[in-house]
Amino acid sequence: MKKQVNLVQGTLDMLILKAVSLGGLHGYGVLLRLQQLTGGQLQIQQGSLYPALYRLERQGLITSEWGESENKRKAKFYTLTARGRKQLKAEAESWNRFSIVVASVLRALPERS
Amino acid sequence: MKLFRRKRFESDMDAELGFHVDAYVDDLFRSGMDPSEAARRARIEFGATEATKDECRQAWGLQWTDELRADLRLTFRTLRQNPGFAAIAILSLALGIGANSAIFGLMDAVMLRLLPVHEPGRLVFVQTAGTAGRDGPPYPYFELLRDRSKSFEAMAAFSASNMEIVIDGGREQARGIWVSGNFYETLGVAPMIGRTLAASDDQTLGIGGPDGAVAVISRAYWQQRFGGDPAVVGRAVHMFEHTVTIVGVMPSEIMSTEPGRPIDIAVPMMLSDPVKLRDRVSLWMEIVARLKPAVRAEQARAESNALFQAYMADVRIPPEVHQRLFDHMELTPASKGLGGLRTQFSQPLTAMMILAGLVLLAACVNVANLMLARATARQKEFAVRLAIGAGRGRLIRQSLTEALVLVGAGAALGILFARLGEAALAAFFAEGNNKIVLDLSLNGRMLLFTLTVTVLSGLAFGILPAVRASRFDPAAGLQSGSRGIAGSRLSLRLGRALVIMQVALSTVLLAGAGLFIRSLRELESVDLGFTREGILTMEVTPEWQVFGTPQWLTVQAEVLDRVRRIPGVRSASWATMTPLSGRDRGAVLDIPGFVPQSEKDKDVHLAAVSPEYFETVGIPLLLGRALTPRDDATASKVAILNETATRFYFGAENPIGKKVRFANYPSHDLVYEIIGVVKDAKHDSLREPPSRFIYLPIPQSVDRINRLALAVRGTGKAVAFARPVRQEVQTVRSTVLINNVSTMEKQVEQSLRRERLVTALSTAFGVLALVLACIGLYGILAYAVTRRTSEIGIRMALGATQGEIVWLILREAMALAASGVIIGVPAVLVLGLISRALLYGVGPFDLPTFSCALLILLVFAAIAGIVPARRAGRLDPMSALRCE
Repeated sequence: MKKQVNLVQGTLDMLILKAVSLGGLHGYGVLLRLQQLTGGQLQIQQGSLYPALYRLERQGLITSEWGESENKRKAKFYTLTARGRKQLKAEAESWNRFSIVVASVLRALPERS
Repeated sequence: MKLFRRKRFESDMDAELGFHVDAYVDDLFRSGMDPSEAARRARIEFGATEATKDECRQAWGLQWTDELRADLRLTFRTLRQNPGFAAIAILSLALGIGANSAIFGLMDAVMLRLLPVHEPGRLVFVQTAGTAGRDGPPYPYFELLRDRSKSFEAMAAFSASNMEIVIDGGREQARGIWVSGNFYETLGVAPMIGRTLAASDDQTLGIGGPDGAVAVISRAYWQQRFGGDPAVVGRAVHMFEHTVTIVGVMPSEIMSTEPGRPIDIAVPMMLSDPVKLRDRVSLWMEIVARLKPAVRAEQARAESNALFQAYMADVRIPPEVHQRLFDHMELTPASKGLGGLRTQFSQPLTAMMILAGLVLLAACVNVANLMLARATARQKEFAVRLAIGAGRGRLIRQSLTEALVLVGAGAALGILFARLGEAALAAFFAEGNNKIVLDLSLNGRMLLFTLTVTVLSGLAFGILPAVRASRFDPAAGLQSGSRGIAGSRLSLRLGRALVIMQVALSTVLLAGAGLFIRSLRELESVDLGFTREGILTMEVTPEWQVFGTPQWLTVQAEVLDRVRRIPGVRSASWATMTPLSGRDRGAVLDIPGFVPQSEKDKDVHLAAVSPEYFETVGIPLLLGRALTPRDDATASKVAILNETATRFYFGAENPIGKKVRFANYPSHDLVYEIIGVVKDAKHDSLREPPSRFIYLPIPQSVDRINRLALAVRGTGKAVAFARPVRQEVQTVRSTVLINNVSTMEKQVEQSLRRERLVTALSTAFGVLALVLACIGLYGILAYAVTRRTSEIGIRMALGATQGEIVWLILREAMALAASGVIIGVPAVLVLGLISRALLYGVGPFDLPTFSCALLILLVFAAIAGIVPARRAGRLDPMSALRCE
């Protein structure tokens, strides 16, 4: 159970970084952008977004600032830091390598025996 | 600050999550959903808010502090529920920690602390050395070394001495120190007001420097004598033949380099006795020097020694004396100052520190035992917590938190106790003629020591219950009642082991206290050779112009005449020194027919006394006649020896009528006829064997008489005569200085200062350990009785009498105590050996003392056992059986 969460968490962190990298967003905005980017295919538990945001901020990958939302309400906006950008790049690369490797394994045909 | 940030964190988090939900609700509403349905959907899709918050806090790294807070809250709540447990635990820790801090504070002040000067590590004392030990060199050597050596950056000479000072026409005594002009500069001490002494103030013999005769005073003297008046700088006082101007006020603790010795005033060397300054073999001062940074101590020693050997080349002294005192030069590290106090108190303080450590150990064991018992009682709670998902780590942390809270409270209270104890200790040292002033204020080192001790003890007693908590099996804990738990047998055994350890520790401390009490008793009942009760003593000094003149003799006679007429006074007399006053005077005797084995054999203590002295002080005459008023300056010279001197010089021969000659006085032919022998009396300390004494009549003294001690014996309390006697003395001559008014009894007591300190402390420690052991013993027995209730019920049902049941429990108490005693005995022997040097008249393996300690322990063990034993005896067999 725990391992599964970790896996999702790892991916979620990367996705959040990506979403934030496209421009400063508040938490709800991150959710909307992820839904938009995935075409609504990815189910995200809304509450689980925040611990991930806090963890990323704690790690110094994103920073936050209080500002005003589109409908004039106080909201906390997140932006990517330099370290966050580097981290996103590294994670994206390793994810790509990983998916290529996994895909190639899955493409393998049964050997003659 | 931290708390404020925490509040901010919470409100920010609430705002952020609130915004999310509201925004979602808005969006849902805009997409056409019913408002209440939108709110419901939003909440459901968001998930559990509190859990999310918790995860956020955890992600932010706040969990640790949150849990700590929860642990603390639980700890305080449980301690409040068991105030008895908390009080006993905190109190025993406070006493243990307090004892350690107090003794460490004393050790720090006496043994560890560096002089508060610039770079104390480079300071050394330059001393002559020989078979008799080390001493400060003569003044001419200081001049030679100062002018010729290349190893030292600076060097200064100093010599502490009581000085007379005339302020506003009144004569007073001050604790003075002669210093070379650069003394404070060498140490690197700055004045608080005005200026310090300079090398130029110490240029011209008998005059001083360009400003004439100047002096600096200590801050304490400035406060006490001059009321802290800043106008004291520039003020003129009279000392010796000089008018001396006070030019500055110095920090009290660094007026001299001898910690604990208070000094009021520092005066340049050049104003001191010119004869002494020129004397090439007189040892009366010390040199303190600062090594150049690159110079090694050995290099400097070699240079000092080479100069010293050259210096000694034209000094004529007997080879014996040369070997004893003037053999070579040594450097002694001076970073901690002169070690008079240190040598006297190092050993007892080390012994006390060990004892205090044992007390703390006993306190820790006691608290460990209490906590263990509580952990057993709380097994259900632990089981529930484990069952609903608490990690074992959390349980361990909870136990340790409890331990640290207890020990923290103990430490806070302990520091308070230590402060109180130190105030008492400082007062103890400050009494009497040889006052010792200790700075026992809190410092960083003391706090660090207390902190270390605190944390170590917290871990010491906290770790056991913590480890046990972690090994705990929740299933077993939940299933069974408070008895019959698998772990409780183990905990009882552990508890017993701890109690045995406590008893062992108290055995050591009690036996140690016993040894010191016996020593003190022995010392107090030692044959003094003089009368302790009813004797008043005071020192009387006339102006220096009167020293050794017939006028001074007249004053003496008149004073005796008047004092004897005071009602209640039985006799009065003068002497150059009285027993245990700390005064001493040596002389060298040539005795026809006596062949000395070494130069030392000719040494004798010398006192000049008035005729009634022996009667006043209560030293019995054994042979010959006493002195009379007719033995005056014109009569033939006579002397009285004490037993030891008689036996040493004349053996079994009758000494009456024999002649002795004082050597080293070339100017006169000082031959005295022995007319009597008196009994030995203690002089220096009660521990020392009697030394050789010769007594001369005051008018026939070998040197001019200056200060004298007046001894008055009366009926009733000696102190009561202090005022009338003082009045009579001042009526005869108003200008005399009266000092050190005391009684023989008090001086005997003060000479045992060190022993009384050790005895008082070790007794307090022993009692403390005994009380702790009794608490532990009581606790474990009470617990055992509860555990064995059904067993006792069965025994009673089978016909055991009440007495048998009581004995069953008491027997356990005795067994525990006896085991502890057996374990403690070897430690007692070790302690005895360590403190052997502190003992007097009692060996380190004193059987009566040990038996007494054991007896006390067993009696108290029985008392501690009797309450639970009687409770066991009164159990009703039916309810005991039913309580399972």
